[in-house]
Amino acid sequence: MAEEFVNIEINGKPVKARKGAMIIQVTDANGEYVPRFCYHEKLAVAANCRMCLVEVEKAPKPLPACATPVMEGMKVFTRSPKAIAAQRAVMEFLLINHPLDCPICDQGGECELQDLSLGFGRDYSRFSERKRSVPDENLGPLIATDMTRCIHCTRCIRFTEEIAGIQELGMVGRGEQMKVRRYIESTVNHELSGNVIDLCPVGALVSKPYRFSARAWEMTAVPLVSPHDGVGSNLYGHVLRGRLMRVVPRQNEAINEIWLADRDRFSYEGIYSPERLERPMVRENGAWVETDWESALAKAAEGLRAEAGSLGVLASPSSTLEELYLAGRIARGLGSANIDSRLRQRDVRDQHNDPLYPSLGMRIADIDALDALLVVGANLRREVPILAHRVRKAALRGAQVAFVNPAAFRYHFPLAAALESAPAALAGDLAAVLGAALEAAGKSAPAHLAQAVQAATIGQTHRAAAAALAHGEKRAVWLGALALRHPRFADLRALAAAIAQTTGASLGVLAEGANAAGAYLAGAVPHRVAGGKPAAKSGLAAAQMLAQPLSGYLLVGTEPWLDAPDSGAERTLGQAKFVVAVTPFASETLRRVAHVLLPAGTFAETSGTYVNLEGLWQSQTGAAQPVGEARPGWKILRVLGNLLDLEKFDYLSSEQIREELAGLCGAGTAYAAPAYTAAHAVAPGSEAARVVDVPMYQIDALVRRATSLQNTLEGRTSAVTY
Amino acid sequence: MAQSTNDLPLAEIRNYTMNFGPQHPAAHGVLRLVLEMDGEVIQKADPHIGLLHRATEKLAESKHFNHSIGYMDRLDYVSMMCNEHAYVLAIEKLLGIKPPERAQYIRVLFDEITRILNHLMWLGAHALDIGAMTVFLLCFKEREELMDVYEAVSGTRMHATYYRPGGVYRDLPQSMPKYQPSKWRSRKEVDRLNETRSGSMLDFIDAFAERFPVAIADYETLLTDNRIWKQRTVNIGVVPPERALQLGFSGPMLRGSGVVWDLRKKQPYEVYERMDFDIPVGTNGDCYDRYLVRIEELRQSTRIIRQCIEWLRKNPGPVMADDRKVRPPSREHMKGDMESLIHHFKFFTEGYDVPAGETYAAVEAPKGEFGIYLVSDGANKPYRLKCRAPGFAHLASLEEMVRGHMLADVVAVIGTQDIVFGEIDR
Amino acid sequence: MANPLKTFLLPELLKGMSVTARTFFTRKYTLNYPEEKAPQSPRFRGLHALRRYANGEERCIACKLCETTCPATCITIDSDVSADGTRRTTRYDIDLFKCIYCGFCEEACPVDAIVLTRIHEYHMENRGENVMSKDKLLAVGERYETLIAADKAADAPYR
Repeated sequence: MAEEFVNIEINGKPVKARKGAMIIQVTDANGEYVPRFCYHEKLAVAANCRMCLVEVEKAPKPLPACATPVMEGMKVFTRSPKAIAAQRAVMEFLLINHPLDCPICDQGGECELQDLSLGFGRDYSRFSERKRSVPDENLGPLIATDMTRCIHCTRCIRFTEEIAGIQELGMVGRGEQMKVRRYIESTVNHELSGNVIDLCPVGALVSKPYRFSARAWEMTAVPLVSPHDGVGSNLYGHVLRGRLMRVVPRQNEAINEIWLADRDRFSYEGIYSPERLERPMVRENGAWVETDWESALAKAAEGLRAEAGSLGVLASPSSTLEELYLAGRIARGLGSANIDSRLRQRDVRDQHNDPLYPSLGMRIADIDALDALLVVGANLRREVPILAHRVRKAALRGAQVAFVNPAAFRYHFPLAAALESAPAALAGDLAAVLGAALEAAGKSAPAHLAQAVQAATIGQTHRAAAAALAHGEKRAVWLGALALRHPRFADLRALAAAIAQTTGASLGVLAEGANAAGAYLAGAVPHRVAGGKPAAKSGLAAAQMLAQPLSGYLLVGTEPWLDAPDSGAERTLGQAKFVVAVTPFASETLRRVAHVLLPAGTFAETSGTYVNLEGLWQSQTGAAQPVGEARPGWKILRVLGNLLDLEKFDYLSSEQIREELAGLCGAGTAYAAPAYTAAHAVAPGSEAARVVDVPMYQIDALVRRATSLQNTLEGRTSAVTY
Repeated sequence: MAQSTNDLPLAEIRNYTMNFGPQHPAAHGVLRLVLEMDGEVIQKADPHIGLLHRATEKLAESKHFNHSIGYMDRLDYVSMMCNEHAYVLAIEKLLGIKPPERAQYIRVLFDEITRILNHLMWLGAHALDIGAMTVFLLCFKEREELMDVYEAVSGTRMHATYYRPGGVYRDLPQSMPKYQPSKWRSRKEVDRLNETRSGSMLDFIDAFAERFPVAIADYETLLTDNRIWKQRTVNIGVVPPERALQLGFSGPMLRGSGVVWDLRKKQPYEVYERMDFDIPVGTNGDCYDRYLVRIEELRQSTRIIRQCIEWLRKNPGPVMADDRKVRPPSREHMKGDMESLIHHFKFFTEGYDVPAGETYAAVEAPKGEFGIYLVSDGANKPYRLKCRAPGFAHLASLEEMVRGHMLADVVAVIGTQDIVFGEIDR
Repeated sequence: MANPLKTFLLPELLKGMSVTARTFFTRKYTLNYPEEKAPQSPRFRGLHALRRYANGEERCIACKLCETTCPATCITIDSDVSADGTRRTTRYDIDLFKCIYCGFCEEACPVDAIVLTRIHEYHMENRGENVMSKDKLLAVGERYETLIAADKAADAPYR
């Protein structure tokens, strides 16, 4: 390490500090707490709250610890009378304009202002004049504001500028007139905007859906994993009397750092949606009747057994690993290989070439260090907001990022190349990029792609994209959800793999759902059995099951007509003889097509495991009490398995199921991303193709019912077909 | 019972086992004694405990320090404020704070009022158990006045929750609640009843202290020389001084055996070292001596009360330490300024942290040494709380005290031990 | 009992009887409850009440300090945004069986909403009536507001 160190003294204790570090970083590392409001380790230094004033020997005045770099021989006193007097004075100033809101403020109890006032402030106020008041801002349906409480730490402003990348908030006025405002009249629309709630040290920015509903100290924090995208963001569910009141991020530097996408943060609202199915229901003579678990399960088992000859199982890719595994076991136990969770994927021609599981091809934490990235068919900010943030970090560091997308999506970082390519032209454009890459590398195209490359016309942008990928050492090619949904996904993948190979990049597939990788391992895809081993006989894929009606369906946590909007699922399912749905929600459509409804718990109400795109298994225990008579999905499927007389179905816990599956998968110790190495021949030319861009708040059943998310600008956007 | 039949030449003789309590009126709450009797004579007495166990000590571990004050009242529920006193003393010791002088005087005042309350309850019940009904009624008449004092100062007649770490909750009120005229009582009669209530609470207690020695004399007239009383108490449950020490006795039980020991004198807390009072001791260590000791303690307590009243009248001042970390701000401040509101909010949601450490604080409760052993790990809740209840040690010696006595003497011994199950079972 | 005269003439018993006799002729100190009642302090901690402001607005702002500070955890509050956008309780239950009447809730309340009144004569007939709901507590507050206001005013200088 070429890092230089200096020797300083903190409160008389000699310590070594990295040269150029700020005093506050050194004190934090050495367990000496210095009070602060504006300083945040993830944000730039602003030094405008002045709370972190410390005494430094030979300095005439106290210095802000967050903005004073350490120097050789520096002597810092954080608790000297001078430092304490300075901190106390700052605290007093901060409080003179703070309203007496604690009893009605949601931040009360987890408020940094309260804590520091107690620890570093005065006991009595000497201020008896009028306090100022500031009109509130309407920041949209997610963030509630009480601007009078603002202490002008500017953390929110720095967040929008530095992390979100779109400066939506700013400071206007000065002195007593200083206010945090939006620059133009609009709501805050960024997909990470909810993080300002966590950042705000006071109660100026608080969560709107959670508003006034609970207190920080009365809730139990239960670690959870986000069920919406393949990142597997770590969350805490805060539970009060069995009800999930809010979701906050759980720090994991390897995955989501301290951030959380709004989708993960606010989707919990869907748990208590009025559409929630609370009791098992069966359809008798065309009318829905609430019944008890036993008879509903018996009826489900009876129906499934009767239709076992032509049975399709559709599972949401956001189900837990245990649910997917049991669903696969039920399907195969009944003699049907028709099980799938790739609801939106249409092209499964070369699914036999699939790697062990769809993988990012690298670790999430390594994205920051990427030097070059080519993203094909991905609306990155919508699909995986946390990864988009990491890509932004890499791009700002100097990574060359190129996109090949059906449309020019808005990005908040510099792009090396952006290729706008209609779905029909996507394969051709990709072949052209490959051609450019081969040209630059002086290689010739592999045989199976030679035709396609030859047919492609290489333009300036293709060369720019290929050149971008030549940059640096760590490179990656990613295929996004739009590529996955493309009717020529197999071709796109073969081309992307060739590009990756040519440029020495890793290949990643941003498969949809929190458990897309898990579905492969659990055998919830038609061509893989549990453990990720190839199936002897491949069953029908989701697209096929939804195109041609089978006589029986088992739906696990999915609403195919919304999950795969262009598949005609409603019509197909309506023609089936028997449809069982294990689902938390019962929509009108589901009531029309289904025959038995079994209420299942949502992600927060069940224990289970999620395997993210880097192959990381993350387990959680249930946080909230299931609504009504709902039960965790694995329990329902377990009993269903018993009623179907399937062998070895006597699981007592989800851990037992996980252990069994882990045994089948073989315990991998070292991290190795499964690679795609097949030689899939790509025919040249273009054919008409359509790709649906499902809006980010429409991707699964839970988020579709999160009211506040639906009220955002993004939530009101409808699906775009390219 | 052994039953003799014609087949057996001799009757099989076996001790009779008898359950005394837990529903027996003389069992003072929920004492269950399993007595082994040889005729009327006690061979063995096995006290069972636990019927009033409420896990106060364990419960305290999950509550902020202040939250358990109210539960201390409910330990020995006839000497409420003394229990609180030991608890807040322990917290104050760990925090290293001292209440203002006025609060210390108020605490001493109420400790002694509590002592009188306790001894009156004990005297009435003890006499009633042994057969003297009248004393009970007379005692409760005086007790009622003191209950009014309790209510006037704290708002409840028994479970006061009045002492706080750093002092007491509120200052003594400047007026006493008064009787209201009704169709049963004329204005004149009500005025007579309200005579002692016209001034401040201190005036009311003063009037009580003035009158009370006369009442004590009445109790003594009824009991001290009474031959039935003496027959029932003299030479019953004799404990020699060295044995009393071995058994861990404290309070009147120890002093009744002639050991001069009183925490108020031997390790004075609050302002007891400024008080002028005597420690009565017995000579024989029997029930009668313990009776005499307690009667004398009533007089000594009255003496202390009068000294406190005198001081309190002259010295108004704060009754709570001026430390916002352990006490909430005044209502007025809380509603007016930001710092106070924050302190109020944090005080009631998080309480206060007590520095890590352990301590033992004991007070001379009416029944003996009531102590609190408190361990803090630096959090806002006790890590461990242990109550040293005097009655527990006393009850443990019950067998020794009643062996060889008659069944009826069990009642006298239970009475003399002043058993209250709230503190024994906790 | 060395003195035989004392043994036979029962002097100490007669002296004791004289106390009884004296008391017999003194004025009764018992009260004819419930027609007349013992004096009650304004600090008395009896049945709980939720108060309203003079304009009829609920005082309680659902800050939950009382719920938190309750040693017996007898208070259960659910809160939400009210129709006018303010912070209000949707549920405020006090379980009278759990309550230990310590008065901490009243001490904690920043807006004098929850108070302990001097009412101590109440009863319940059916299971479940021990839980005082928000409506019941508000009703108590409305009915005894004058009394409560006077009591709190009397005690205000001490708090």
